[in-house]
Amino acid sequence: MTQTEPGQNPVRDSGRTSAGAQEDVVALLMRQHGDIRNLFDEVEQAEGDARREAFGRLVRLLAVHETAEEEIVHPYARRATAGGEGVVADRLEEERQAKEMLARLDGMDTDDPAFLPQLLELRTAVMEHARAEERYEFTHLRRAAEPGKLAALAKAVRAAETTAPTHPHPGVESAAANLAAGPLAAVMDRARDAARRAMKSGS
Amino acid sequence: MTFNPLQQRGIPLDRQVRNWRELAVTPIDPDHIDPYTRCRIITMNGIEVEAVMFSHHMARHCPDAEVKRQLAEVRYTEAQQQKAVNWLLPGVSSVLETTIAYEQVAVDLTAWVARMEPDPYLKQAYQFGVLEDFDHLYRYANLYEMIEHRKAEAIVDQLTEVMPGRPTKAHHRHPADNVRDPYDRSRTDPLSKLHALTIMSAEQQTMNFYMNVGPTYMEPIARELYQEIGLIEEEHVTHYESLVDPGETWWEQLVNHEYNECYLYHSFMEQESDPKVKAIWELHLNMELEHLRIACDLMRRHDGREPEEILAPELPNVLTFEPNKEYIRTLIAEQLDLTTLGAGYVREAHERFEAMQQRLNSDGGPPSERVIAQHQELFNREYRIESEGAHPVPELREQY
Repeated sequence: MTQTEPGQNPVRDSGRTSAGAQEDVVALLMRQHGDIRNLFDEVEQAEGDARREAFGRLVRLLAVHETAEEEIVHPYARRATAGGEGVVADRLEEERQAKEMLARLDGMDTDDPAFLPQLLELRTAVMEHARAEERYEFTHLRRAAEPGKLAALAKAVRAAETTAPTHPHPGVESAAANLAAGPLAAVMDRARDAARRAMKSGS
Repeated sequence: MTFNPLQQRGIPLDRQVRNWRELAVTPIDPDHIDPYTRCRIITMNGIEVEAVMFSHHMARHCPDAEVKRQLAEVRYTEAQQQKAVNWLLPGVSSVLETTIAYEQVAVDLTAWVARMEPDPYLKQAYQFGVLEDFDHLYRYANLYEMIEHRKAEAIVDQLTEVMPGRPTKAHHRHPADNVRDPYDRSRTDPLSKLHALTIMSAEQQTMNFYMNVGPTYMEPIARELYQEIGLIEEEHVTHYESLVDPGETWWEQLVNHEYNECYLYHSFMEQESDPKVKAIWELHLNMELEHLRIACDLMRRHDGREPEEILAPELPNVLTFEPNKEYIRTLIAEQLDLTTLGAGYVREAHERFEAMQQRLNSDGGPPSERVIAQHQELFNREYRIESEGAHPVPELREQY
């Protein structure tokens, strides 16, 4: 037996935990929170080029994930859940602070002795933000939205993430001084465009 | 090692109440902590919860107002100890992460106690139980990867293996078969009393934890798995509490509780790698020495006996968190198909066991089986850590 029979559990259908057609946006984002934490592990444990490469993937995943949340999930939560306005404002403030830390790190050599301590600071901020989303925002999303809506939001997030280029040209991501207009901002812009396209085509 | 808690002076009780700043402990970092530090925290939380609840029960049976006041005073500081210990756990951890850490405690604490237990009947009780907690760890680890995309290895490290033990579905026995025979308080080794109290307290806290956090999950499979394993933890509390001689007086039980707390704080202080956590074990040991002194005075006054009659002359060998991989593999190979009948153990599924199973499984299989099937569907594999080689039972090796 792999699934709860339809109608047996009126609270939630079990398809939400699988990657099937009925995937819901909360399950998807929670798994990405795990992926992000895994990548932090990888960056911490790696050295030299391997660390630079893993950090590049972390930056892209964070950028794409946060942008998809900002463009797709938060706006819906703000509209559809009681007190959503305040909850989302708190999340956006956490995201803003995390992005500042990320931008500082993104301009840094991953071998710099100051890199790891700052990475740990970012990790803590990102973890606290993710857990706060799960507890104070996602629970309300699942309470307020129909399963069909949660599935549609998941599709939009997926679409935004696959359209956003996650592999910028090699060499660009390691340019240490390339800060303000650097790869982070570029990835975020592209992810934002992709998210907006996904929302338009979905509505 | 010679440490006799009866001869040590602790912190006077009137100096034990902590202020808010002292209670606001800094939580551990879940991604960089020694997993066994987290295990020690979870264990001591269970011990302090038992201390508080035991004292409440004693007070409810106590007609002497003076004793009630004395119990209340000690109990308040124990309630503060419970807060200081359990608040070392961080808010960034998910419930499922903490659950997996609870199961690591159940595995490595029970296995160590089974190895050290001198009484063969009691040893068997721990060997029996540990194979069940070991299987719970495997089920929750699969749930964890499904919901959070994280591997349980990030929590338990390579210290504890994650693979099937006695299948969870086989833990649902007729409740009458969960009651064991008690040790004899006048003849048993004092160490056996400490072991029974420790494991009972840990399982009781696990039961309390699952029964309260289970419904906070939204995913049906998670809700259902917490229900199923929560019910087994209740069976385990029945199993372990029945090992304790019910003929012990309240005063004697109180002394045993306080002595055990000294033993465990002392043990954990000896092995703790995290200096901030170690400082808490040391402080609490010094508080417990005074609680023990007070309990001993109560026993002398109201029981007319000397505590030395029931206690060991010195603390036993420190209780240690360490890997028990080979020990558990041996138990799996030898004892996987055991179940209980009356106060003993049998290998065949007897009538009362079968009747219980039929009742529970009459309209669909157990969540513990579905969680593995759903994980398999999602990842085309199970989640396991088999660091020491293939599973000792060929039928339980991964098929995919």
